Formats: sequence, C-alpha cells, structure tokens
Amino acid sequence: MFKKLIAASTAKSPWIYHINTGSCNGCDIELVAVLTPRYDAERFGFKLAGTPRHADIVVVSGPITSQSKARLLRTLEQVPKPFCVVSLGSCPRSGNVFKGSYSVEGPLEKYVHVDVSVAGCTPKPEAVIEGLYTAAQILKEKRKAMAGKKEVAES
Amino acid sequence: MTVFIQILLILFHVLVFPGFLFVFVCGLLLAGIDRKILARMQKRVGPPLLQPFYDFFKLMGKETIIPDAANKAVYRIAPIAGLASLVVTMNFIPVFSFSAMSFSADIIVIIYLLTIPAVALIVGGSASGSPFAGVGISREMVTMISYELPLILILLAVAKKAGGAELCFSLSGIVEWQQSTYLGIAHWSLIPAALAMLLVIPAEVGTQPFDTAEAETEICEGPLIEYSGAPLGVFKLNTAIKMFIMTSLFTCLFLGGIDTGIVALNALILFAIDAGLTILCMTFIHAVTARLKIEHLFKFYWTIVSALALISLILVWIGL
Ligand code: SF4
Repeated sequence: MFKKLIAASTAKSPWIYHINTGSCNGCDIELVAVLTPRYDAERFGFKLAGTPRHADIVVVSGPITSQSKARLLRTLEQVPKPFCVVSLGSCPRSGNVFKGSYSVEGPLEKYVHVDVSVAGCTPKPEAVIEGLYTAAQILKEKRKAMAGKKEVAES
Repeated sequence: MTVFIQILLILFHVLVFPGFLFVFVCGLLLAGIDRKILARMQKRVGPPLLQPFYDFFKLMGKETIIPDAANKAVYRIAPIAGLASLVVTMNFIPVFSFSAMSFSADIIVIIYLLTIPAVALIVGGSASGSPFAGVGISREMVTMISYELPLILILLAVAKKAGGAELCFSLSGIVEWQQSTYLGIAHWSLIPAALAMLLVIPAEVGTQPFDTAEAETEICEGPLIEYSGAPLGVFKLNTAIKMFIMTSLFTCLFLGGIDTGIVALNALILFAIDAGLTILCMTFIHAVTARLKIEHLFKFYWTIVSALALISLILVWIGL
C-alpha cells in the first residue's frame, strides 16, 4: 500500500532545481514565469528547490560551456535518486546560436541521459509546463522501477 | 491486568490520539490550508489541499544521501528527536477538557519540550558539515533567543491570572479556570499577551517573514541544505506539526473555555480554531511581508512583542 502511495505522490510533488549552463537568460526568465501567478505551476505541486539535495527534476538551460561542464556534472551527482533531467530550450539540445563556439562543449546528451527535452528559443511557458509534467510522470515510473529493484535485491 | 491496560492506554495516547496520528493528519492539513489560502491571496489556483501529504510521501521514497563530512548517527537521529518531542508536547496540551497527561507544572515541561525541535534542527544542521548550514544554525539560535523571552512572559501572565495568589502552572488548571469564569481573551488585561502570542507563533514555526534561518533564496534552506529523502521529510513534518501545536497552545491559553463534552467534537472544534489562527497569524502575514534580516527580527521581538507581553504581565500582577 505504501509503495503505491509513494509512487502516486512522486508524480504529484516534483521539486525543481534549475542550473544555468551558459544560457542567455531567456530560458531562465521563462522558467520563472511558469511559477508566477499567471501560469501557476504550483497547481501540479511544482516548487523551486534551493539545493540539488531536495531536487526531483533538474532543469538545464544553456549550451554546456567549458566553465560550466564540471559544475554541471558535479551537481548532477548530488541529486538523490530517482530524478529526471529536463533540457530547456534549443541550447542544450544543439548549441543553437552558440554552436561552433570554442567554449561550447554541448550538447547535453553527451554527458547525461536527458528524460525530457523542451525545444524553442525560448519555449512558451505552456510548453515548459507540459515538459515538466511529462517529467513528473517519468519520475513515477522511475520510482516504481526503483522499488522493484529493491525487492529483487532483498529476496 | 490494570497495569497492562494502563500501558495500552499510554501507547494509544502517544501513537494515536492526541499523539502521532492525530498531529500527523492535523499538522499536514493545516500546512495544506496555509499553502492554498496563500495561493488564493496571490490570485493563484494553488496546490491541492493534500499537497503536504504528497510531499511527505514522496520524500519517504527518495534516496537518503549522507555527506562524507557528516556525523552519521547525529545526522539521522536529529529529525526523529524533534518529532518525538513534538508528539509528547501534544500529549500535554489539553483538547479543551480532555488531556492525556497532566501534572501540576506542565507549562514548565512544555517550555523545555518546545525548544527541542529547534535544537534538533541546530544539531542536525551542524552535523551535516555544510558552511551554509553553519550560517543557518547561527540564525536559528538567534531566532530562538528572540521568541523565547516573550513566550515565557506570556505564559507567566496567564499563569498568574489563572492562579491568583499562587501561580497556576498546569494547563488543565488554566482551562478549568476559563470554564469557570470567561475565556482567557475576554479578560482585557490578557489581550496584549494574546497579541504577543499571535506574533510568537510564526517565529516558532519559522514561516515568512521570520524564516531567516531557512532563507532558501540566500542560504539555500540553511540547516536543511544537506538533508534529502526521509530525514528531510521528517523535518518538513516537524514544521507542519509545530504549526498545529503552537496554535493549539494559543487556543488552550486564551480560548480554552469551550466544551461540548464529546472528545471527538472537541478535537474538531480545536482543528477549526487552529485553521483560523493559522490563516490569521501565518498565511496573512506571509502574504503581505518580505523576509526580515536577523538583527531586525531580534529587535522586533525584544522590543514590541516583549513589551506587549510585559504590559500584560504588569496589569495582571497589580490585580487587574
Ligand atoms: S534557447 Fe534561446 S532563449 Fe534559451 S538560452 Fe538558448 S539562446 Fe537563450
């Protein structure tokens, strides 16, 4: 009973941690807009967490620059399982307008498994909400898989 | 046989009513009401009423990471110690005429028990070995010193008013006194104390604007920065339970005279009053203010709030 309850709650209370890996700040503003009264993502339980330890969804915006790469990987290591990675905007997908720059080391897929990728420069807040909501559903599946694995290990 | 039944009864009091299960449900519901009403005040739809329950159960299912720099035993025990002391505190607070444990001086016990959750936060934070937690715990300590003085003055004023010549340090004694005369708040010399108590509650619980210790936008939740998974869930639960306990203490001190004779109905009325108090002194203040700096918080509590409590104490002492 508790396992079902936990899995159901996991989809309903995803806390977001946001990392800027060299974005132009357009996507960051749009992510914050999602949490404002107009779009109000708290309806679905989304909350901005202050530290990676509390995070369920890690949102990465910006092409991965040489300076931010190590920090990004170190931050991702600190997030407790299960968690999802969402790439926000076209930058972490392809490099966008920064592609070919000497200091860009992207795309994000090279370094971590990306669960949801929201395209656009910048994506609309509606698209961001949809992407985050999909990530929350994936989170639930991950939690179920994790609980299953634990049972196998115990028996 | 009677010993056996008595042990069962104590277990029931600690685990079910008015212990763990009761405060678990009521505390998290109050936190849900707080978040929903706050959202409505900001013209948002807001999270569902059961959101704190979802948060709690989600955190139970997350991995618990213990940092290398942490002291492992203290890091794990701190949240549980806080929770245990809160559950015991609720056993001392009468639900109107019903009280699970009552001694002649339980106010003194409660003063000590109420500091334990804050101390648990400080101990747990310092055990996690993060510099942000270091800043957080020093602020938490200052917050504790700030609200402790007015809280004790308020309790003294009520005890003197209820007991007359000799102080009445028993909470059930205070409730009985209110039932035999009027509600505590109807005695005009206690009104400043009631106002001060309304201002002590948000600091004790740690809601905005008095959440300087856990300022998530500047020091990343302070003492909680390294916590993840189940221990974090228990700390969040502690905050929600503190909301319920502090508002219940207010109800007991100033609105204790209501009694229907049925314990379940009394508990329901208590919860309704607590929800009202939560909206009045936590949600409303949260919605209209920004976070205070720690020195402003200290100054505010040691001047205005303490003065209110002191006025009450003096009025009561000269026999008004
Ligand atoms: S996708 Fe566009 S708006 Fe977003 S960070 Fe890249 S350039 Fe800026």
